[in-house]
Amino acid sequence: MLGKQLLIFDGGMGSELERAGLGDFDPMELNLTHPEAVCAVHRAYAQAGADVITANSFGLNAIKYRGKYALEELVLAAVRNARSAGKPVYFDVGPTGALLAPVGTLTFEEAYEAYAHLARLTSGLVDGYIAETFSDLLELKACILALKEHTDRPVFATMTFDGTGRTLTGSTPEIAALTLEGLGVDALGVNCSLGPAETFPVAERMLAVTTLPVIVQPNRGLPVWREGRTVYELSDEVFAQWARRFARAGVAVLGGCCGTTPDTIRLISSLAGAKVPPRRVRQGTAVCSATRLVTFDGVRVCGERMNPTGKPKLQSALRAGDFDCLVAEAVRQEEAGADLLDLNVGLPGIDERAAMWRAVKIVQGSCPLPLQLDSSDAGTLEAGARCYAGIPLLNSVNGEEAVMDRIFPIAKKYGAVVIGLTMDAKGVPRSARERAAIARRILARAEECGIPRHKVMIDTLVLTASAEQALVGETLSALVRVSAKGIATALGVSNVSFGLPMRPLLNRTFLAMALQNGLTMPILNPLDAEMMGTVRAFRVLSAQDAGAEEYIRMVCDAQPVPPAPSAVRAESGEAAGDLSGCILHGRVGDAARLAEEECSRRAPLEVVDRVLIPALDTVGRDYAQGRLYLPQLIAASEAAKAAFAAVEKRLGTGSASRGKVVLATVRGDVHDIGKNIVKVVAQSHGYTVIDLGKDVPKERIVEAVQREAPMAVGLSALMTTTVRSMEETIAALRRADCMAKIFVGGAVLNAQIADRIGADAYTADAPSFAAALDAMCAATQTEGRRP
Amino acid sequence: MNYSDLRAAACRYLGCRDAPAPQMLSMVDDGIAEADRLSRFRAVARTYTVPPAFLGREPYASFLAGCSGCALVAMTLGAEGERRVRALMTLDPARAVVLDACLSALIEREGDAWEERQFGSERTYRFCPGYGGSDVMDNRLIFEAVRPERIGMQLLPSGMMAPQKSMAGIVGLGRRGQKTCSGCMAAEGCRFRREGRICWENNC
Repeated sequence: MLGKQLLIFDGGMGSELERAGLGDFDPMELNLTHPEAVCAVHRAYAQAGADVITANSFGLNAIKYRGKYALEELVLAAVRNARSAGKPVYFDVGPTGALLAPVGTLTFEEAYEAYAHLARLTSGLVDGYIAETFSDLLELKACILALKEHTDRPVFATMTFDGTGRTLTGSTPEIAALTLEGLGVDALGVNCSLGPAETFPVAERMLAVTTLPVIVQPNRGLPVWREGRTVYELSDEVFAQWARRFARAGVAVLGGCCGTTPDTIRLISSLAGAKVPPRRVRQGTAVCSATRLVTFDGVRVCGERMNPTGKPKLQSALRAGDFDCLVAEAVRQEEAGADLLDLNVGLPGIDERAAMWRAVKIVQGSCPLPLQLDSSDAGTLEAGARCYAGIPLLNSVNGEEAVMDRIFPIAKKYGAVVIGLTMDAKGVPRSARERAAIARRILARAEECGIPRHKVMIDTLVLTASAEQALVGETLSALVRVSAKGIATALGVSNVSFGLPMRPLLNRTFLAMALQNGLTMPILNPLDAEMMGTVRAFRVLSAQDAGAEEYIRMVCDAQPVPPAPSAVRAESGEAAGDLSGCILHGRVGDAARLAEEECSRRAPLEVVDRVLIPALDTVGRDYAQGRLYLPQLIAASEAAKAAFAAVEKRLGTGSASRGKVVLATVRGDVHDIGKNIVKVVAQSHGYTVIDLGKDVPKERIVEAVQREAPMAVGLSALMTTTVRSMEETIAALRRADCMAKIFVGGAVLNAQIADRIGADAYTADAPSFAAALDAMCAATQTEGRRP
Repeated sequence: MNYSDLRAAACRYLGCRDAPAPQMLSMVDDGIAEADRLSRFRAVARTYTVPPAFLGREPYASFLAGCSGCALVAMTLGAEGERRVRALMTLDPARAVVLDACLSALIEREGDAWEERQFGSERTYRFCPGYGGSDVMDNRLIFEAVRPERIGMQLLPSGMMAPQKSMAGIVGLGRRGQKTCSGCMAAEGCRFRREGRICWENNC
């Protein structure tokens, strides 16, 4: 019946309880304190013609509800009250009210557990669940997974949008609909925030992209503030007119949200049972993050650089748990024009599943591009897909039954798009015909697993021309065959040139050939301007770039530009040509080369002591005297960091480090820009920084200090309230016999407070911190020891 | 967008005095454009003729003296800007700090403009819990009154707000009121004050 005949849900509960004079009470607690009032509202909706009654449980989850009653008691009372109306009951699941990390402090796992708890409590007691008024796609995903993994009842899911057509966290109706459809909900849609007129375009956009039943529950118009109260003034008749429009557009479930009453539902209940008109939905291949949708209706570039293979620096960073390097790669590729990004964290000896889980969280917290999760391990793909906000691309399956058996259930469960490689246990077939046959096998097997064709992309695999020259043509022919069936295609383009000189020339020539033969998604290095130029040019010549707008923008952006502003000092006086001047002027690009040149003239450690440190002293002094501003301080620090890295190359990894420092923003504090500035400046002075991040519990800081044995610990706090947390951290460090000197800093700190809370020292800004570390080094050297 | 007013504020937050070099201004202009593109300003308020009980305490009572009413306000730029700052911090920290300063300037400017539209020019500046010796945990009372969760804000147990570029405060209505440094928690040792300057706009 669902999706065939129109189903009517009930209307607002909170506004009805307020109308009954109970507005001063917690609506959740009324389930126990005034059950008769709650039951009366439920019965009124049932009598008005609602097919389904929603329990008064919107605010009932362990994170949101902090009242005096036991959550379990309230949940059961809410279900009992709803049951009194004699209609099917859906349990209403609302957001936790907390923001997910990294914006807030709530973890995906905590959100999941809160919803799993609800599902366990209500399992078998209700007829379904409606997760509604969510504005964060990832929080809603945690909720849906918890419900689906703990119950077998239908799950409806709706998000709330503002007047710009986005949720508060930036998801569009298309992103919401496609992601929720992928997660296998039974109906999806929109509720609250807007009246029916404003909700209509949102619903239309959802109806255009999903084949699932769409549910709409608008407010009774936009709220108006009158005499200290929120009121809704749209008439029930106008609401009902809109309901008829929604029904004609193909909406399958209608109800009301804030301000709607049993009278509203009575007027729309005449639509109950009406045939839901069929609609034509053309679904193409698409992936998305929470804020960016990428459809494969034209060429889309997948950036390949977040992969440690062949990148020693990235490998050592990942082994050390430093995932910032992935974020930097993500941002570089985004700025170079990539549409989505491959993410691979596979390294021998690393816990790949845990690394993928962490990498996905960190990268999606910083970069809006969708991700392609890349691993040969099914558990790793599942770890990434589970905490990913949106529709991921999984790389990959192949024609082997065992591989498809492992990967397709993951793709199905999380709504992922999956890449199928045209190979099997026998390897890569030589002919295009055989590769196309494997592609057909993959597509057929996917469909058996409930994965539609548009959720599979095919990689026809290119072998290196140096070994298999004749087979390059077979790859291209296979592209033609696969793309002719309307299937999106992928290729790791640069494989073609292994073992041959002037690889870029071969790569870009092959790229143009592949694009012309039907390649949709080249996987390449977006920092290669010529490869990106080839894609842009192809998009013009194949009429994908309307009016050549992107192309013209690219050409304009490529015009010679003056040096980056951050690289230029305001009061230029010093010679910029040598290493010292380069640092003083913040010229990051030249620092490494000049440091290497300097190292060829004198001993590397002398370069540190005679050039880098004096230059940094000047920078610190100029900053303190107001002759240098924050961006210039940072640029100078970045240049010094690059110089230190070059010196270190000469001496061997870690040998140029002047000492180790642990930095953290303490528990409860989420502002970390100050700590990050300190990090950059400390690194520029040659110190190895172990950055524990923000909102760090004292136990983690103690553990890091015991593990790393640093010369100093730097703690940051912005608020008076988090100074207490800083004090507790210092006490914990003292109890653990911390030998490192403990520095504190932050807006509300001063020397007196530092002393009071037991710190060893207070530093007012980043250069002062670095200077204090330098002084420690100097003192240690005087004693004849190197820290 | 008119950059001149935002430029001055962002440069001030970055520690600039006198006339910053053209390169610096160009960087700030880029930061303002990016801040503007990434931000979605939202605000909520509740007005009172009789202030809620907690505003009878000092320093709020003195702040509101002579006002005919007051408003509790909460506003945010959303989380996209801070996400970009976080990303840039790993790649180009100089751009990150400039963007952060531009976002701070933007929320102040947007907040002032929004208050002007809502309450007119006969109003005080925005007094935020934490100023003048008041308790930052009073943010909780503002949250309870105006429920800024509906515009995507959250009050953390520390009294901080998420997203980071968010503000909650009290606006006195019916008279103008100029901000001062008295009671600022950072007044002691403040670099601006040492140089005879202020960190805030003199715009009320």
